[in-house]
Amino acid sequence: MRYLIPEVVVAGGALLALLAIVLVPKAKSLGSWIVLLALLAAGIDAATMWHVTASLFMSNTLAIDQYSILVTELVLLAGVSSLLLAWDADRFGDEFPVLLALSVLGMMALGAAANLMVIFIGIELLSLPLYILAASSRTQAGGEAALKYLLLGAFSSGILLFGMALLYGATSTLSFVAYPSITSANTWLLWPGLALVLVGISFKLAIVPFHMWVPDVYEGSPTPVTNLMAFGTKVGAAVILLRLLAFGFYTQDGSWGTLIGYLAVLTMIVGNLLALPQMSLKRLLGYSGIGHAGFLLVGIATHSVEGAEAMMFYLLPYGLAVMAVFGVLRLIEGNGDEVTVGDLKGMAYRRPWLAAVLIVGMLSFAGIPLTGGFVGKFFLLQAALFASQPGLAVGIVVGTLVGLFAYLRPLQTMFQRTEPSEKVQKVRWTVASVVVLTVAVVGTIGLGVYPEPFVHIVSHSADFYWLTGG
Amino acid sequence: MVGIFIIGILMLVGAVSVVVVRQPVHSALALIGVTIGLAMIYLILQAEFLAVAQVIVYAGAIMVLFLFVVTLLTAGKEEMEAEDTLSGQRWAGIITGLVVGLGLAVVIATHSPVKLSTALSGSFGGLHDLGHQLWGPYFAMLAGVALMLLTGVIGVLVLNRPDQVNYKSRLDLPSGVSLVDAEQEGKK
Repeated sequence: MRYLIPEVVVAGGALLALLAIVLVPKAKSLGSWIVLLALLAAGIDAATMWHVTASLFMSNTLAIDQYSILVTELVLLAGVSSLLLAWDADRFGDEFPVLLALSVLGMMALGAAANLMVIFIGIELLSLPLYILAASSRTQAGGEAALKYLLLGAFSSGILLFGMALLYGATSTLSFVAYPSITSANTWLLWPGLALVLVGISFKLAIVPFHMWVPDVYEGSPTPVTNLMAFGTKVGAAVILLRLLAFGFYTQDGSWGTLIGYLAVLTMIVGNLLALPQMSLKRLLGYSGIGHAGFLLVGIATHSVEGAEAMMFYLLPYGLAVMAVFGVLRLIEGNGDEVTVGDLKGMAYRRPWLAAVLIVGMLSFAGIPLTGGFVGKFFLLQAALFASQPGLAVGIVVGTLVGLFAYLRPLQTMFQRTEPSEKVQKVRWTVASVVVLTVAVVGTIGLGVYPEPFVHIVSHSADFYWLTGG
Repeated sequence: MVGIFIIGILMLVGAVSVVVVRQPVHSALALIGVTIGLAMIYLILQAEFLAVAQVIVYAGAIMVLFLFVVTLLTAGKEEMEAEDTLSGQRWAGIITGLVVGLGLAVVIATHSPVKLSTALSGSFGGLHDLGHQLWGPYFAMLAGVALMLLTGVIGVLVLNRPDQVNYKSRLDLPSGVSLVDAEQEGKK
């Protein structure tokens, strides 16, 4: 039980914050403080048990190892950044921190899942608060976003469950860590089941044939919520896909590796291509998030320890860049109006600091050297070549090139001179947003210049192949 | 085996009619058929308690709520069919769904699942066994489901909150109008 303390702390923080909101309605930010402290405490506690020997808990339904601990830290970072970005905004409602903590708990469960049922509950626990949060700004676009997300999410959950039922029929167990040792599986039920499960998870990860919901939902949701969706949800869905395929279906890699490879190339190229013509910044970031999901898939498709390491590494620079870009967006959108690429005009002269942060984030998305994004893409390329899959490598290069155009267009607009008479909206700097932006920028550049320590951490966490299904 | 097929066909007919019938009340009644079919499948699987709970909770309580809401909301209103903006998507959807569904049905019908490695205990499906399972090995999942339900409750409260001024709708207020203005405007 010692190893479940981070999860318990986050759940307890959510419940306590809920109580505090009801009992002390006057203290506006009390709930946010409680959840913030709970998330930080969970992060510190998870860090102290880094040297745990990987093992299965709760009758083989949860696996606690370096992999799950790293995932916990990543999703806690996503949660804390979203919480801080929404700190001053009372228009999201008092229950924003509670729902955020519950969503983060779902993501943590996905990192530790060793059982199909935990995957399902984790995905639902992650999504349900997000459906509500998407509508929490109470605008028409927000309502549309929430409804689209809810309907498509419910549909994909149904497909996921159907697939899990078939997998159960094929193997007679829900514990997927036991799959590698099963020899008598009924393959006629196994493959349709795996295909349906892949569809369900691909929806959450926004892989290309299942990506239609992303731009609308990103556009309609409040920016801090979009930050959580873009960072946390991607981490959760990507890590469970990696663990399910690379561990549960370790022995049958030939059959799913190729499929995931094609999906990865398709997603990288289509996502970045669709990002090109976008005018709304949030839509652009939505499509860029689709493209990045493709990059993450490359790590899974290579089916090697290098690939797993590369994918786990890629998550952090991607998340930091998301924090930087959405942090800036949050500051310049003022009272929540849509920010288009044209609104950035002249920003480099009017607000040099914000522009600098945005440049760092965008360049990291694009994969320019000296940013974390470059190192991440480099490792993915290396993993694809080590696995002798040149098609994947070509896909990475083409996707990066197309993405570069998409990311440079807003940057170029920032350097256009504007009429001096144009009104400049004031930016309300808050301590919380400064913290988020500083962490994001320092982290992005730090990972780009000196990635060694994190590479070390990642190489430990990606080493989950030895876990034995009890 | 034959019983499952018959129940399955009945449930499918019910599920399709939930979607296609025009009267919401008829949809709700068709949904009762689906839940009862599910209860029968639970019975075949020796899960007696689940079957009973399914009938009591879904067919008994939840469907009554549905019917209340349907009769309160739609009394005397003509249902309008939404216009199909993407021509042919309905047919494409039906054909794809039929092909995938039939393919899966053939695979599942012709290939029986593997046998359980451990035999079921004698008390399987009873209340005691269910409680032991839920509060023993599956406790983490039970807690997760509890938190999911809590999320649902919070969601109902959040999304149904009466509009306060600080949750101003951006669509109603032109930019530049401050919240105080809006409030005073409302008081006039």
